[in-house]
Amino acid sequence: MLEISGLRKTFGAAKRALDGVSFAVRQGEMFGFVGANGAGKTTTMRIVMGVLQADEGEVRWKDGPLGFAERRRFGYMPEERGLYQKMKVAEQIGYFGRLHGLAPAEARRAADELIERLGLTERAGDAVEALSLGNQQRVQLAVALVHDPDVLVLDEPFSGLDPLAVDALAEVLQERARGGVPVIFSSHQLELVERLCDSVGIISAGQMVASGTVDELRSSVGRRLRVVVAEAKPGWADGLPGDLRVENGREVLIAADGDDQHILHVAVQAGRVEHFGVEQPTLTEIFREAVA
Amino acid sequence: MNGMLLVAGREVRTQVRTKGFIVGLAVTVILIVGITLAPKLFGGPDSYTIGLVNSQELAVQGGGDTEIEWRAFSDEAAARRAVLDGDVDAAMIGGTAATRVLSDGEIDGELGLMLQAAHREAQISAAGVKTTPLSMESIGADTRYEETRSQMAFMLVLILFMLVVGTPMMVAMGVVEEKGSRIVEILLTSVRPWQLLGGKVIGLGVVGLINLVVVLAAGLGAAFVSGLAVDFPPGMVGIVAGVIVWFVLGYAFFAAIAAALASLVSRQEEVGNVLTPMTMTMFASYGVAFYAAKEPTSLVATIVSYVPPFSSMVMPVRATAAATPMWEVLLSGALMAAAVAAMVLFAGRVYERAVLRTGARVRLREVIGSR
Repeated sequence: MLEISGLRKTFGAAKRALDGVSFAVRQGEMFGFVGANGAGKTTTMRIVMGVLQADEGEVRWKDGPLGFAERRRFGYMPEERGLYQKMKVAEQIGYFGRLHGLAPAEARRAADELIERLGLTERAGDAVEALSLGNQQRVQLAVALVHDPDVLVLDEPFSGLDPLAVDALAEVLQERARGGVPVIFSSHQLELVERLCDSVGIISAGQMVASGTVDELRSSVGRRLRVVVAEAKPGWADGLPGDLRVENGREVLIAADGDDQHILHVAVQAGRVEHFGVEQPTLTEIFREAVA
Repeated sequence: MNGMLLVAGREVRTQVRTKGFIVGLAVTVILIVGITLAPKLFGGPDSYTIGLVNSQELAVQGGGDTEIEWRAFSDEAAARRAVLDGDVDAAMIGGTAATRVLSDGEIDGELGLMLQAAHREAQISAAGVKTTPLSMESIGADTRYEETRSQMAFMLVLILFMLVVGTPMMVAMGVVEEKGSRIVEILLTSVRPWQLLGGKVIGLGVVGLINLVVVLAAGLGAAFVSGLAVDFPPGMVGIVAGVIVWFVLGYAFFAAIAAALASLVSRQEEVGNVLTPMTMTMFASYGVAFYAAKEPTSLVATIVSYVPPFSSMVMPVRATAAATPMWEVLLSGALMAAAVAAMVLFAGRVYERAVLRTGARVRLREVIGSR
């Protein structure tokens, strides 16, 4: 388990970037890290990777302190992509494999495998600078994966990818997670996070405002009832809890609390009940509510 | 250690494969061979062809390996034509009281003197007088190699300047490339800062050494082929070995400064600016080295040849230009090595603290002061 506890970081005199960030990611868990721009995602990940020192707090891995030797077994994709522009794709991936401690033959094999897996076979001999941004991103991912890391820390791995590339990347990450690797990634694509992640952490202004499984987050927001009544008289829901909204020319009642049986009773009397059910809030809604 | 060797290996492979490296090396080799052979190619000819009309061959004694080819002509008109056509350098016309020498324009000074002397000799011995040639002997310091030494020293100033300035520049560019592209963030999760920096400095140093060795080999090779090597002073092996050691010391010192200063900035455009203190020092070294090639025994050259980092360029030049006692070279080398060690430690500290701080230029004071 990767445990991040009580991280604090202040830049300069005034700018507090992190103010007590804590969360944990278990083996094989895919953790989505979401938050507005500047909320502290990148700072947290940089501290996890040792690129930045925290003022307070610590990061632990497998119940021990996280040091250089352990981090060498991590895979990292920084927010700002960095590759040697003039180095060839296969050579570059292999080089990073070697730096992470792979033997020459192993590094070559791992690089070839990833190149095929990520659809870069035809570009293997090209310099990185000759590649499209999407393909450069694939190479960047391959660099993070080449040494079969124990933990993956990826800052915005999906940004700038086309839908097919997103699927390919998602598949690779899920496969690694199934192999027992904790995967942390940040993203602004909340539907994607909702679809892929076992758990989600929401950070706002340097503080974790919510974290847990998607279901836990939903229950924290609370159950919501969605009721659609056809041919109802205006004002049928007066006196009931919740909001009446108009969706596609229909009046829709969204109620967060109140006695559902009572609401159903009123609805039946008001007209023909077309829809009556508990609605799952989306991650986007949870996020809006959490950072509000 | 392994990480450092990997980094060094990448630097060597990357540099050696670039067009710039191969073209640069080829141009330097051509330049060096050209300069070495130039005196041979453009100096006066040391073989002459002389036409003869009604005259005998003379026992000409030229300096060095001067050769004279004699060619007989039936009459003066034919000889004149040959002179004007450039077939012969001059023609000797005998038969009258005074033998005449015809040439196209004023006669080559050396040739004129040689012919005059040989002609006089011939007349004197014809009159039955025996002569003995002068025996020459130097009783002062051995100055046989002075000219060669000073020529070699000038070449050395040129070579050392190109390599000691150029190679640390490559270190600076490499550091900023990695910092600016943030690739350093990934690198530093798998290698230590000293491994990354050490590997880069060693790798590019090897590239610089390849350059130096090829250039030296080309120069020495050309000297042997052209026969200039006979003028080489004794102890050439020591001089060449010294040049290589001094290059390594000078490079290590300047590469460490270059890396430290370059780690303060994030963009290639800022490199030139931040390196100004280093380039100024280099130009000063170059200036003194140039002077030392001319005046190797002057007080200035002697003093500066002990002061690091100037000594890295001045001492090898001084030792090449004039025989210098071994203890002086060793003392200066020890001082320089100590300066290198101090600079490497300092640069390592600056680099480690500055290389992850991307964005605006980091002030040196902040880095030295922190922690």
